[in-house]
Amino acid sequence: MGIVIAVISGKGGVGKTTATANLGLGIALNGKKCVVVDFDIGQRNLDMILGLENRVVYDMVQVMDGEANLKQALIKSKVNSNLHFLAASQTKDKSVLDSKKVEKLISDLKEEFDFVLLDSPAGIESGFEHTIEFADAAIIIVNPEVSSIRDADRAIGILDSKSAKVKNGEEVLKWLVINRIVADMVESGEMLRSEDILEILDIKLIGKIPEDKGVIDASNQGKPVILDKKSIAGQAYARIAARLCGQKVDMKNVEISDAGLFKKIAGIFK
Amino acid sequence: MFSFFGFGKKKSASVAKDRLTIAIMSDRDRTNGYPFMDEMKAEIMEVVKRYVGVKGVEIRKEVDGDIEALAIEVELDKNAK
Repeated sequence: MGIVIAVISGKGGVGKTTATANLGLGIALNGKKCVVVDFDIGQRNLDMILGLENRVVYDMVQVMDGEANLKQALIKSKVNSNLHFLAASQTKDKSVLDSKKVEKLISDLKEEFDFVLLDSPAGIESGFEHTIEFADAAIIIVNPEVSSIRDADRAIGILDSKSAKVKNGEEVLKWLVINRIVADMVESGEMLRSEDILEILDIKLIGKIPEDKGVIDASNQGKPVILDKKSIAGQAYARIAARLCGQKVDMKNVEISDAGLFKKIAGIFK
Repeated sequence: MFSFFGFGKKKSASVAKDRLTIAIMSDRDRTNGYPFMDEMKAEIMEVVKRYVGVKGVEIRKEVDGDIEALAIEVELDKNAK
C-alpha cells in the first residue's frame, strides 16, 4: 500500500508542477514505483513538464467516470519505467470531481504504486480540497516572498480542516519546500531566510531549492531538471526525493553564495 | 557598505518577516474560528427565519487582546413576507 502525497501551494506559479514532476521522477530513480497525477483540472501542465503531452489518450476524469480503465490511462515515462503519469482533463470543468470517485481512484492507485503524487491546483478552490481530502501527506511549496507564504498558511489551514485523515483524528504529514532561493539576496538581507519562513509557518522543512535558470530550459524540452546532474535545482530535488524514500540526507545550505562561501573561508585565515 | 549607506534602515527581509507574522496571525484568527461555525450559521438562520426573512448569516471570531468575541451579522431579506 503506497503513500499519497498532495503537492500544494497557496498561490499559483511557485513551482508546484515542476516540483511534482521532479520529485516523481526522483522517487522513480530511487527504485520506487511512483505515479504522478495532474489534479489541476482544466489546466493541464504536468504532461508538458514531463514531456508526455503527445502520449495522453485518456485522462483521470474519464477513468473516474468509467469511460477508460486505469491501465489504459496510465502513461509510462520514457526516462524511467518506475514513473507513471495520469493526465488532467482539459475539457470538463472543475465541478466534475466528486469525493467518492476521487477516493476510489486514489485507493486504486495506492494498490499499484509505492508513491502517489497529486499535483494540486493552486489556492483554495474546490479542486484543491479534492486533492488534499484523501492525502496521507502534503508537500507545501513556497517561494521566499510574502504573498506566497501568507497564502501557503491559508492552504495549510484548509488542509488541517478538510483532510479525511484529520477528520478521523489522525495526523496529515506536512513538509515544506522552499523554492527559488537566491543566495546573495538572503545574504544581503533582501530575501527571507528559511529559518524565518519555518518560524512563521511552523511546519517541517523537507528541502530548499535554489533559483536555477536550468529549470526553464528543462521544461522547454520536457526533461525534468533532476536529469541534469549539474543543475543545482536538480540536485536539490534529488535530495528531497531521497528523503521521501527514507534516506537520511543532510540539508545543504543553498542560502550561501559562492562569494559568501569565499568570504567565510577567507575569514578562517584571518 | 550596506550599513554605511543604509544606516539605521531595516533590511527588507526583516520587514517582510514582521509584516507576515502579523498578517498571518490575523488570518488565522479570522479563518480558523471554530469547526462548528457552518452548523451554527445554519441554525441561527433557521431560528431567525421563524420571525423574519433572512438573506444570510455571517459569523466572525474577533480577537482583541485577551478578549475573544463572536460577531454575528444577520442580513434581512426585505422582500420576504
